[in-house]
Amino acid sequence: MASVEFRNLRKSFGAVEVIHGIDLQINEGEFLALVGPSGCGKSTLLRILAGLEEATSGDIVIDGQVVNTATPRQRNIAMVFQNYALYPHMTVAQNMSFNLRISRLSKAEIEKRVTDAAKLLELEPYLDRRPAHLSGGQRQRVAMGRAIVRNPAAYLFDEPLSNLDAKLRVQMRTEIKALHQKVGTTSIYVTHDQIEAMTLADRIAVLKDGHIEQVGTPIDLYRNPANKFVAGFIGSPSMNFIDCRVRRTTAGLQATLPGGNEIALPNGLDVRQDKEITIGLRPEDLRPGKVGSQISGKALFVEPTGAQTFVQFESDGIQMMAVIDGSEDVQAGQPFSVSLDFSRIHVFDKDTAKRLY
Amino acid sequence: MSKRYTIGSFLLEIVMIAVAAVFAFPIYILIVLAFKSEENWREAPLSVPLDPYLGNFSAGWSQAYLGDAIFSSALVVICSLLVLVAIGAPAAYFVARCKPRLGYGLYVFFLAGMILPFQLALIPLYQTMRDIQLLGSPASLVLFYAGLQMPFTIFLYAGFIRTIPRAYEEAAKIDGAGELLTFVAVVMPLLRPITGTVLILNGVFIWNDFLTPLLYLSGSDWATVPVAIFSFVDQYVTEWGTIFAALLIGVLPVLATFLVLQRSMIRGFASGVKG
Repeated sequence: MASVEFRNLRKSFGAVEVIHGIDLQINEGEFLALVGPSGCGKSTLLRILAGLEEATSGDIVIDGQVVNTATPRQRNIAMVFQNYALYPHMTVAQNMSFNLRISRLSKAEIEKRVTDAAKLLELEPYLDRRPAHLSGGQRQRVAMGRAIVRNPAAYLFDEPLSNLDAKLRVQMRTEIKALHQKVGTTSIYVTHDQIEAMTLADRIAVLKDGHIEQVGTPIDLYRNPANKFVAGFIGSPSMNFIDCRVRRTTAGLQATLPGGNEIALPNGLDVRQDKEITIGLRPEDLRPGKVGSQISGKALFVEPTGAQTFVQFESDGIQMMAVIDGSEDVQAGQPFSVSLDFSRIHVFDKDTAKRLY
Repeated sequence: MSKRYTIGSFLLEIVMIAVAAVFAFPIYILIVLAFKSEENWREAPLSVPLDPYLGNFSAGWSQAYLGDAIFSSALVVICSLLVLVAIGAPAAYFVARCKPRLGYGLYVFFLAGMILPFQLALIPLYQTMRDIQLLGSPASLVLFYAGLQMPFTIFLYAGFIRTIPRAYEEAAKIDGAGELLTFVAVVMPLLRPITGTVLILNGVFIWNDFLTPLLYLSGSDWATVPVAIFSFVDQYVTEWGTIFAALLIGVLPVLATFLVLQRSMIRGFASGVKG
């Protein structure tokens, strides 16, 4: 187990800089998720940490040691790849023991470690099989087993669940979480799926275009996103955004929507008259009914999922999503009103996209 | 839904059967004449031999010294293939995995080697072989074939390696393997299908080549199968049954190797690694 740190890390491919001076500290035993859209640099960051890519400048520090020039072997880091990268010509046991054999451990020690890992991951019946004869979930477990047997300083996961079907993904997510709780090794997990990041990680770092937008606990990112990008990226379905203008009235601050309707803004917000802002409303914070400040419109699509119903509705030409209780009766094409809770409104500067409230 | 059988399909089948018959005819002649005595084939050269005559095989084996020739051919083929695989595979790995611009340059360089007619170099190479005293030795052929077939071998290997995800090599690096171990323990086993293709295509070419062994080995005791059969033709030009029997014997080792490696050869052509 070790701590990991990036210090002003930059990476360029030719003339194009893809990582722009990242500083990030990952504590010993922590599970950190790197999330962001495709091309944001999260996998590159992981590969730099693994030693598969070289940083253009900056430092990679593992357990207090700068390892910029160290080989992957010297870094003692285990990695689980997106496509598992199990050696097709080796059996499960040979795949898991490849590193140990290179390290010239005794046969007895190799056998013990492989057996222990196989037991932990319920892979014992498959040790003599080749990867081609395993299911997706089993291959995934072998990939994790290959990492576990090594006792590495840290585990790196590069979108390890993206090749699995939805049901298996949820199951493997739980297994990864259980595994981390059991072994407690520092883990860095790259994903573009914010639900995976939210459910697995102690902390999440949200990346965009090679910059870190925000680092925090999952619930902190959900409740207090630093900017519009993080607010839109974290949470599913994603946050509704409405561009509007601030108006000061005797009753307090009001936001004028594009269609002319007005909604009250929280009192703690400190903005000038006519300031252009973006209001963020989480779909799950919109409640049907006509209490307090409200938005009225017409339901466009209704998607029942059982416990909840997703309602896509339109108000003043703006399309929004609401997640309501599954027992509510809403029909497409019918009028639909939601009430707003002040305490749940997010306000962003329209120009800088930074959080104002 | 199954496709309907139309007159077009019928005509296509007729054409395909006719083409197959044209290709099969020389093989039919080869087999039929090999099993007929001289009197028999003069009377009815195309008929099926109902009472097969095996004397041609014993005569062909002993008169053309086919046993020695097969040994010479096998020695040259095996050594050449070993050199081709041992050098071609790592060279192609470098070509496929180095920086794109350098890799493309090297690829074009080797392709040029496939385009240039090797006959242009036969005379200077003959002089070189003579100067380094390799004439009459199978080593001259091994050297020649290794050089001649290397571009083709690299072309086959490099194309296949490009289809293999780099993640396998990266996983090996993470596991602590160096470049050499990664290649030997991880990449090379993944190249098994294309290695089958390399062995078959190069092996058949080298086994059947007539001109080069005739030039470099003439006068020595190392005559390869085509050269041995050629000398045999020279002396017994009228005994077609014996000649064809010798040819059949000469084809058998290649045929057997092909049958063993055909699956891997087809996988090599189709490309890709399962896992």
